[in-house]
Amino acid sequence: MVQDAAAGGGRTDTATADGGRTGTGSGAAVGPAAVRISGLWKKFGEQVAVAGIDLELPAGQFIGLVGPNGAGKTTTLSMVTGLLRPDSGQVEIGGHDVWRDPVAVKSRIGVLPEGLRLFERLSGRELLAYTGRLRGLPGDEVDARATQLLDVLDLAGAQHKLVVDYSTGMRKKIGLACALLHNPEVLFLDEPFEGVDPVSAQTIRGVLERYTGSGATVVFSSHVMELVESLCSWVAVMAAGRIRAQGPTAEVRGDADSLQNAFLELVGANRRLAGSQNLDWLGGGNR
Amino acid sequence: MSAAPTMPTAPARPAPATAGAPPLTPVFVRLKLSLLRNGLRQSSGRTAVYVVSLVLTLLFAALVVLGLVALRGNDHAAALVVLLVTLVALGWAAMPLFFPSGDETLDPTRLAMLPLRPRPLIVALLVTSMIGIGPVFTLAVAVGSVIALAHGAAATVVGVLAVLLTGLVCVALARAVATANVRLLTSRRGRDLAVLSGLIIAIGAQGVNLGVQKLTGPDGLGVLEPVATVVRWLPPASSLQAVDAASDGSYGRAAAGLAVTAAALVLLLWWWQRTLTTLMTAPDSSTLQAMEKDTRRRSAERGPLRLLPAGRTGTVMLRSLRYAWRDPKTKMSWAAALGVGLLLPIVTAVQGGGSVYTACWAAGLLGMQMYNQFGQDTSAFWMVASTIATPRDAYVELRARALTIALVAVPYVSAVVVGAATALHQWSEFLEAYGLALALLGALVCTGGLSSALAPYSIPAEGNKNVAPGQTGIASLSIMGGMLAGALLTSPVLGLTIWLHVADAHGLLWLVLPVGAAYGLAAAYTGLRLAAPQVAKRLPEILAAVSKG
Repeated sequence: MVQDAAAGGGRTDTATADGGRTGTGSGAAVGPAAVRISGLWKKFGEQVAVAGIDLELPAGQFIGLVGPNGAGKTTTLSMVTGLLRPDSGQVEIGGHDVWRDPVAVKSRIGVLPEGLRLFERLSGRELLAYTGRLRGLPGDEVDARATQLLDVLDLAGAQHKLVVDYSTGMRKKIGLACALLHNPEVLFLDEPFEGVDPVSAQTIRGVLERYTGSGATVVFSSHVMELVESLCSWVAVMAAGRIRAQGPTAEVRGDADSLQNAFLELVGANRRLAGSQNLDWLGGGNR
Repeated sequence: MSAAPTMPTAPARPAPATAGAPPLTPVFVRLKLSLLRNGLRQSSGRTAVYVVSLVLTLLFAALVVLGLVALRGNDHAAALVVLLVTLVALGWAAMPLFFPSGDETLDPTRLAMLPLRPRPLIVALLVTSMIGIGPVFTLAVAVGSVIALAHGAAATVVGVLAVLLTGLVCVALARAVATANVRLLTSRRGRDLAVLSGLIIAIGAQGVNLGVQKLTGPDGLGVLEPVATVVRWLPPASSLQAVDAASDGSYGRAAAGLAVTAAALVLLLWWWQRTLTTLMTAPDSSTLQAMEKDTRRRSAERGPLRLLPAGRTGTVMLRSLRYAWRDPKTKMSWAAALGVGLLLPIVTAVQGGGSVYTACWAAGLLGMQMYNQFGQDTSAFWMVASTIATPRDAYVELRARALTIALVAVPYVSAVVVGAATALHQWSEFLEAYGLALALLGALVCTGGLSSALAPYSIPAEGNKNVAPGQTGIASLSIMGGMLAGALLTSPVLGLTIWLHVADAHGLLWLVLPVGAAYGLAAAYTGLRLAAPQVAKRLPEILAAVSKG
């Protein structure tokens, strides 16, 4: 497929680009791993949300974290980005431990969480100005970058409107702008396309593709397989708090005709559908 | 039950066409009763609340009527009555703005898809609006007012008309205001306004409280006369003025009074009908909102806000100040602190127990703003959390928030202390009260910073609740414990003041001001220094605690 070829090309490109970007990383990192997760656990009361994940996400790739609702994608991303404390396990980003070396990690990552609010009583432009300055960037630089981001993300017309009055798509876009403002090495996006109209989705997609093209890493979660298949060069499949498969998209897809089918096979949903003969009264002539 | 007689007639007239359409008013009355009944059927709790409020309103109405009956014959009865009725009418005008979801039939956009003519619709809606607790109360007040004023048969006839007109004007006023503002009421701004309603009512109640105290004093009612001379010609009070005039035999003035209210009713109905027609034939508000012109916000570079320091400190202060103005919950808590902090010294002064020390209330209430700082951010705290990597970052963040409070609190408290000292002529106690107030402010910033770090809780964005369910314990513990700790922290300065008084060292009492100011500053600094490492260490825990709203 065309995407695969492009992604493959991107991979060889970015391996060297990444070497330049994370050259100061600790010696523990073998090869260009942007994110290294080992033995990650999280329980909420009796319920195990994430059950011991080991994952190594290569740098410079467009990485998809896919799984059905409740698979533990959001919990994983929250723990990886330092917003949720894991029960046990380790997360390293660019060779730096998320919990022991927050100074090195927080300046290197950008986050767009799902289900958390923004400072919505600020206008889009004010929110960017706030975020950039909070990140320690010089004011003039923040304003220049904000202008460009608002322009590219098609938000320039609504930049003085309060974020609370934004639509879902506009919120995702301004959230993305906030996450990109400090030019992070790794970008974590939780369901960036959820509830987003096709036009905004295409805009977001364009910005992300340009961004990974420069050698940066994007990790995003989704349950829309077609999207993941068309965007991602590398995927990790999650179900019930565990990683079921990980690797380049083509490898994970294997012999299946689409990632969707490969995914259904991996999470066992095909069997559930096949074993549904106890609904054999539904439809047909037995009325 | 009531629908049964109409059922058989329906097939008899298969095509009502234009002439035979059923009258709208009974349909709407039944709709209103069904909505009321179904609303009560939903939960026994709601029924209980409704019954209790009905009983309370009736009791209150009975009290008002009794009070008005007792006024019969009083010289100032007319003045009081016209003001009372004007107050009730003002309440009707304001009510739909504060309780936009109170009455489902209040939102005429729900009827937009039905083929209804404006005139029968207005009549039907007006009659429907007369069903409810509010109109009963209003009619009771009107009846009581007429009893207080009417002497003789002519006055009684005018009185009956006045009661009717008053009720209709009040209801039409509420309806017209609601219809004119329906776009506002269903928008975000309207919901923001509704959050502030509790505060406005609380402060309004203080005003009423003060007013009642003044009126119950010797010749208290005489105070009303100058205001009443104007108000008695305003509708709907002018109809009650007509009753008074008819009792005196001046029928010309009586007719004029009734005419003014009747004209107001006609005008209101005309305005209502016009806005209703526009509303029901114009595009839906959601479509309009999308096309709404982008209003440019005043950029910080031009205003006085550009004087804020650069870096994280200024950035955080700017956001906190914007939130104090734009976020309804934050705005309410600031307005409550500022309003009550000013009201308490005034109320105690009016009641005769005034002391310059009551200005400490302003310091206390403003200092409380430091509590649950991160809860005020709601789950947007993640944006703060993802930029805090060291205790230093956390300290700068906390310090900036404390500075925002100080930016408002220090001048405000100073003004209140100076104002109290001037009004009460207690300049001898000015310096010590000022010192104590500053020490208290600093102590509360200290404990507030610590409790923000150690006991954060969620503030739900919508509704009138200030604590998320399940976190009431943390909230009350943090506020009560913090207040107690704040009081304890202030005790050295308080002790010094008392000791100077007891030791008869009045000449040295001025020392309390510099000592209090320095002490407050030191307490705030220490508190923030202690809280910062806790914030940096507990970021995920704080985020989880403030995201429950």
